Amino acid sequence: MALPLTYNWKNLFVRKSTTVLTCLIIASVVGVLTWLVGFKSSLDRSLSFANDRAKIIVLKQGSTSETNSAIAPEDANKLTQLQSLAVDAKGEPLKSPEMVVQVSLPRKRDNGVTFANVAVRGVTDTAFAVHPNIRLLSRPFAQGQLEVIVGVQAAKQFGGLEVGDVVQLGYGGNRGFTVVGHFSANGAPVESEIWGPLTVLMSSYSRTAYSSVSLRLRDGVDAKAVVAEIEGPAIEMTGKTESDYWTEQTSNIRIYMMIVGVLVGIMSIAAIFAIANTMYASVAGRTREIAMLRTIGFTPNQVLLGFLYESVFLSLIGGVLGLLACAAWLSLAGNTKDMFGSNTFTTMGFEIRLGPAIVVKALGAVAAVGLLGALFPAWRASKLQVIKAMREA
Amino acid sequence: MASADIELQNVSKVYYKDRLEIPVIAGLDLKINPGEFVAMMGPSGSGKSTLLHLMGGLDQPTGGTVRVGENYLENMTQIQLTKWRSQHVGFIFQMYHLVPVLSAAQNVELPLLIFKGLSSANRKERVKTALTVVGLADRMDHRPNQLSGGQEQRVAIARAIVTDPDVILADEPTGDLDAKTSQEILNLLNLLNFEFGKTIVMVTHDPKAAAHATRTLHLEKGELERDEVNAPRPAAGASA
Amino acid sequence: MTMGYIVLQNLRRNRLRTALTLVAFALPMGVFVLAISLLAALIEIGNMNERELRLGVHHKVTLINLLPDAMRRKIEALDPERKRLTAVCGMRWFGGKIPEEPAPIQSLAADADTFPIVYSDAGMTPEDIEAWNKDRQAAVVGYGVIEQYKQKYPDFKLGGRVSLKSSVPPYLELEFHIVKVIEKANRAQTFYFRRDYLTESLKEAGVDSPKCNIFWVKCNGADELRELQTAIDQEFSNSADETKSEDENAFAASFTQALGNLPGLMNAMAIVVLVIVGLVAGNTMMMSFRERTRELGVFKAMGFPPIRIFTIVLSESVMLAAIGAIIGIAPVWIGLTFYPLPKLGVLPIASLKASPAAAYISLIIAIAIGAAAGFWPAYQAMRLRTVDALRRVA
Repeated sequence: MALPLTYNWKNLFVRKSTTVLTCLIIASVVGVLTWLVGFKSSLDRSLSFANDRAKIIVLKQGSTSETNSAIAPEDANKLTQLQSLAVDAKGEPLKSPEMVVQVSLPRKRDNGVTFANVAVRGVTDTAFAVHPNIRLLSRPFAQGQLEVIVGVQAAKQFGGLEVGDVVQLGYGGNRGFTVVGHFSANGAPVESEIWGPLTVLMSSYSRTAYSSVSLRLRDGVDAKAVVAEIEGPAIEMTGKTESDYWTEQTSNIRIYMMIVGVLVGIMSIAAIFAIANTMYASVAGRTREIAMLRTIGFTPNQVLLGFLYESVFLSLIGGVLGLLACAAWLSLAGNTKDMFGSNTFTTMGFEIRLGPAIVVKALGAVAAVGLLGALFPAWRASKLQVIKAMREA
Repeated sequence: MASADIELQNVSKVYYKDRLEIPVIAGLDLKINPGEFVAMMGPSGSGKSTLLHLMGGLDQPTGGTVRVGENYLENMTQIQLTKWRSQHVGFIFQMYHLVPVLSAAQNVELPLLIFKGLSSANRKERVKTALTVVGLADRMDHRPNQLSGGQEQRVAIARAIVTDPDVILADEPTGDLDAKTSQEILNLLNLLNFEFGKTIVMVTHDPKAAAHATRTLHLEKGELERDEVNAPRPAAGASA
Repeated sequence: MTMGYIVLQNLRRNRLRTALTLVAFALPMGVFVLAISLLAALIEIGNMNERELRLGVHHKVTLINLLPDAMRRKIEALDPERKRLTAVCGMRWFGGKIPEEPAPIQSLAADADTFPIVYSDAGMTPEDIEAWNKDRQAAVVGYGVIEQYKQKYPDFKLGGRVSLKSSVPPYLELEFHIVKVIEKANRAQTFYFRRDYLTESLKEAGVDSPKCNIFWVKCNGADELRELQTAIDQEFSNSADETKSEDENAFAASFTQALGNLPGLMNAMAIVVLVIVGLVAGNTMMMSFRERTRELGVFKAMGFPPIRIFTIVLSESVMLAAIGAIIGIAPVWIGLTFYPLPKLGVLPIASLKASPAAAYISLIIAIAIGAAAGFWPAYQAMRLRTVDALRRVA
């Protein structure tokens, strides 16, 4: 015979104020923890779709990002030497020259009070073959026209990017490009960009050099070997696989998350202590009751288990409250966030969504916290000496 | 050494639980003279503790008057009652109720902290006197957990007398003690009554304890059944 | 024996509970003081910048676009009597890097003649200005940069010669001579050198480009700054180089925002911390109160006035909060004093230092929270019916 779970559940409601207060403590910590986990998930998800092993991004030698790289077209041609490039239907190598600039756009989340630098990328039609993860949600821009397509994350977070809107681009900010459609890419960072025709954009910004060249390799080719060839004496440029590139670009974001993570960790420890406090008081207040249970015949282990259950129940209630609070916060204050990359001047957009995976993680963490907090008090309860407890006034 | 008389006239007390009226005492008259040592006995529910609370200003009657010395308690406000208690009453409880984190001397000092006019030296002197009376001057700095049950009760008694109250009210003071220790405590109460002339009212269910008093009241269902003068009490210090 | 003594002793009544509560209180308070310190540092810098009355004029579209340096004359021509502005300093981004280091130093080429005036907070003495004017390669560097690099690169000191490679085309590598170290916090992460040196070097490299990214205008007052802001943008509104003028704090804000809104995050953390510690204190006090009902009843029976009962319980809560706060704040404060955290990304703070103001504010807020948390149990204690309290089995 085991202690019925309802006994432990009902005990939570005997001392209502303590239960409520402890639950709220847990809820507060869980709320912040969930937000952080949601953010990290969003980043991981975004990066996980930017790890194409057959794609290499080529920059000017020594550049750390597209915003400070300039490749002259003659140099870009050197890349045709590479044997390992995949080819398209016409037999042309899949080599996409690209130019990256920024445009300052109002943030939707604070109604345009602050502005963000959004990346604008000029590409040729080859780009769509080199970046097969781009999914057009309507027609693409026409080369040679004043048209652009916008990534869904950019359209969501920044103003003036709906289909039909005109974005002012160009060096003088006075050339209007019509948004003819949106594109998605499974959440990859490219969804925070605006894409347009390469030659028109280059002339609008009076540029003669590309920022970067993206290459698609043939199946089964070793990317590392190609990078070595690119950096070698014949070509002398910097090459990075897509995942390396984006890992570098997001290093500062990861530092930020680590800082927040440490802070949340500290508060979780505080929560554990708070739970321990509550459980100790709970045990102390029920010594006679525990002694009674023992005289009836429940074993010390069953008593211990009972208290552990109580603590886990308590924590789960707090956890659910915290999750609900986080969800409410996200829906009220908006779940969008954008952050600078470490080396770029442009911003990456994130959406924090609480999916089932996150909920499970958060509740799991909270149950663990509840267990940890109750371990010592529950152990003490199980060690209670029956006769002494019965005598206690 | 002050002491007061107690007079209850037509006192009744009704408790309200949810919407039920539970009468505990109905139309009771009682007079206690200064310097009497009165024991109150009766089965549980007879209202003896309630009477004690009424005499001590811890509770107020639903009807009738309660006079202790010059003060009529039934019309006093809570604030007035609190102040009155601090000056006129000393309480002794069954469970001693000492503060575990303070020493014996500090426990006895507690009631004196209510009064603003006393200097620290003054307070310490009174504490010493009180503890000497109860015979624990050598244990002044001990904590309650270092004292036996009987010693704890004696500290509680010292605390009850340190303000020199008119009336001492004791609620089952020997309820938790063995026979020998109970005897010591009762002898002490006798001392306070005989030598210092304190009016003492003691609630008890133990007839042997009641025998130490000069008068015993028997209560039954909120009414005074019997009012007996006891056999002359044993001399203070001798065993029963 | 005083009431204070009684309150303290009561905390020793259940040492385990007191210890657990103190830890659960102290940890979040440590986080709190960090957040407040960061916010305080940012506010301080904001204030310092505001006092300098500088207006930044850059290309409307983006800061990256270069403006012709002839624009400086045109801006100056808007106020020939110098009633509204004192001087104009053109700057160009260099983004110099030490080759092995990952991040560029915030390095800018500035007009040699007006830099000491527009950036008076660099604190250049007449001797410093003379050195700046005499040496083509002169550089004025903030102490934060010096601190960050001096360990690995000993030349990063007053009088030292350092070499930086630009991270923007044409990737020039230039040598500099550090003639002055700036002490002020709001300039701690900066590195200024002479723009004529850059322009000449660019020419030698075959790039004829006497241009600026931004013009900093030193204004004579806050109202004058607003006037000039509109006047300048209007002046260039129909030209090829439309401008956007911003005061220094607005300019900086666009950077800190994209860092994930760190100030906002710190605010949120601070609030969450306060909620948690309030709950922790309240929880403990409720538990204590529930166990001490009989004892409180005895106090009341003895004749302690209700207000004193209230005060005893409330004092306990405040004492818990104060001790917990000190335990939480002290290590963080001491840690930051001896090991200030290096600059956090693009944030304009040299280092996260221990600020006495932050410590005091945190302590006071903690005590306020303790009082608020203890209020309800104290009030309940005051309102206890003595008779019930004496009867109650906890």
